[in-house]
Amino acid sequence: MPLTFVRSLMTLGAAVAVLAGAVQPARAADPLAVSVLVPITGFLALEGTAQRNGALLALDNPPDGVTVTYDVADTATSPEVAVTALRRALDRQNPVAIAAPIFGTQMLAMAPIADRADVPLITVSGTAKLTELGHDVVFRFFPTDAVVKVAQARYAVEELGMEKPAILYQTTAYGQSGRAELVRVLAGLGVEPVLEEAIDPGIKDFVPALERVAAAGADGLLLQLHSGPTALAVRQAHERGFEGRIVAGSALHQPTTAALVEPAALAGVCAESASSPVSESSPELAAFAEAYRTRFEVEPDAFALAQYDGMNMVLAALADGARTGPEVKDWLAGHRYQGLAMEYVSDGTGNMAHDAIILCFDGRSRVPAVKKRYDNVNGIR
Amino acid sequence: MVETSLQLLATALALGSAYALTALGFVLIINAVGAVNFAHGDLVMAGGFAAVALAILLPEGVPLPGFVVLPGVLLVMAIAGLALAGVAYVPLRRAPPVSVFISTIAVGLILQHAIALGAGPQPRVGPALVGGGMVELLGAALSYQQLATIAVAGVLCAAVHILLHRTRFGRRLRAAAQDPEMARACGIDLRITVGATFALAGALAGGAGLLLSHQYFVTPTDGATFMLKAYIAVVVGGWGRIWGAALAALFIAVFEVLVAAAVSYLVAEALLYLGVLALLMLRPQGLFGEAEGRRA
Repeated sequence: MPLTFVRSLMTLGAAVAVLAGAVQPARAADPLAVSVLVPITGFLALEGTAQRNGALLALDNPPDGVTVTYDVADTATSPEVAVTALRRALDRQNPVAIAAPIFGTQMLAMAPIADRADVPLITVSGTAKLTELGHDVVFRFFPTDAVVKVAQARYAVEELGMEKPAILYQTTAYGQSGRAELVRVLAGLGVEPVLEEAIDPGIKDFVPALERVAAAGADGLLLQLHSGPTALAVRQAHERGFEGRIVAGSALHQPTTAALVEPAALAGVCAESASSPVSESSPELAAFAEAYRTRFEVEPDAFALAQYDGMNMVLAALADGARTGPEVKDWLAGHRYQGLAMEYVSDGTGNMAHDAIILCFDGRSRVPAVKKRYDNVNGIR
Repeated sequence: MVETSLQLLATALALGSAYALTALGFVLIINAVGAVNFAHGDLVMAGGFAAVALAILLPEGVPLPGFVVLPGVLLVMAIAGLALAGVAYVPLRRAPPVSVFISTIAVGLILQHAIALGAGPQPRVGPALVGGGMVELLGAALSYQQLATIAVAGVLCAAVHILLHRTRFGRRLRAAAQDPEMARACGIDLRITVGATFALAGALAGGAGLLLSHQYFVTPTDGATFMLKAYIAVVVGGWGRIWGAALAALFIAVFEVLVAAAVSYLVAEALLYLGVLALLMLRPQGLFGEAEGRRA
């Protein structure tokens, strides 16, 4: 499609131009530089902005004795832009670590380059393959589908008693990966979905899907959809009087997603996530949430918190004497770190997060409550 | 069975009527300047955000907020359409159509990124035309919102029809679109007709954006989806055929919704694009024939 091609070219050009202006060489007096390369524009801008915010909040408050400089560049939505941003950052900044995109396609393109440069990539990307290709520089601070989908499926079956769930999932890599994991876990629980429906992110109406869900006799819905489609599915299910329970993917935990739906439509709806900063009452998390709100004027989500924890682990490495990319990488691979969301430790391939939670809405508020914690799901810790 | 079919039809018509408004604005510009405005989808998205922004200014509890902000959205987006003409068309009007093609893509991207930076990347929900609730028809529960969407889109389409066919100004617009040289020779100022067409297209995009923003939310990256629907509608309806494009947009929505409900979304999309391919091969002038016989 010429439109897509030309748009891609122009986005590439625009992002390179932004990059050229944004990236400045690190000061010679301060060798500890960190690059923040995340999608601030495009279809993952919401998640990428949360990543950026979490990273900046950590980098602006380093531990005593550690000084870092950082620069932010937009990776937009194509691997080419992300690779260009990475090469430029490596050439100009000599970073000891890089906050890297949530977009798995970009990460797959960046990982070999970072591997050659021996600089760790700190990401919240969920793409399973990232940590299966032998690149020892990728560190993932958000649980993979192998963790969160276990929580989602187990809660639906064991706690809510679903016997005939339907799965609505996005046609993207995110949707397909989550759907495959959901089906696998459900099979282990002796449950087979009565309907699996793939939905393009551009689809604007879920009524046809909900009709098919009803026709299939589903007693519950498992969603693996992006932010807007999740809100749309929940709202239309409520409007159409769907009587089964809904357990959504992590998109619904984001305050900006819940804000799209009236509290009444959220009654009884649950979602999986790694964390939910707005739901927790610990003083440390409350302080994080308050600082985040003050600085960025939005509510924090689990992606922001995971990136915050990831960058704080990098800062802990620097505080412990790491001074180069390889030293930071080795420190991350060999240490445990107690973050705000959970305790992080590598499984040997760079997967650092192994806990998940289930959140549910009560129908009166858009702030969900933590209903169940699934700690150390994959037995790594 | 009848209830389900009625509900699906109402859903399809609500979606399709907003797409029809989108296609209408898109084809008006094709006719006026002979070039494709690839920023049109982003104008629809901007209309949604304009509705969200204007609704914020309303006092709490205003009834029918969508109706209240509608005139403001149409005005703001008419100005945006005019600005688009000034930036992306007028400086390039003597250049090949491909230049306008590129410039409108650039403006669309700028609009998308500017809104993402200003309003944030998250989806937003626009103001409701009417309050929630359902009306029962032949056993089917139809939402007031859907019916209001269809009604508003119908009124806007009728207004465009009256403007183009029942007013002197509309006749000038059509004359300038059909034969610019002859129109100029007859004393019609093409700068005014082109500017007015861009403004009208912008206003229609704004109306479509408002209607879509409440039912289906709006995000800064939505433009490409709307653009694609409008483009297909114009191809199916006949390049340059104003009402052909609007009817085709309605047909596309009905087809997608009904096939998705019967089989799946993926089959619906595959069949739609196969149908478009078949149409291009067997009847390239579209279902209602080509108006001008030239394509950008």
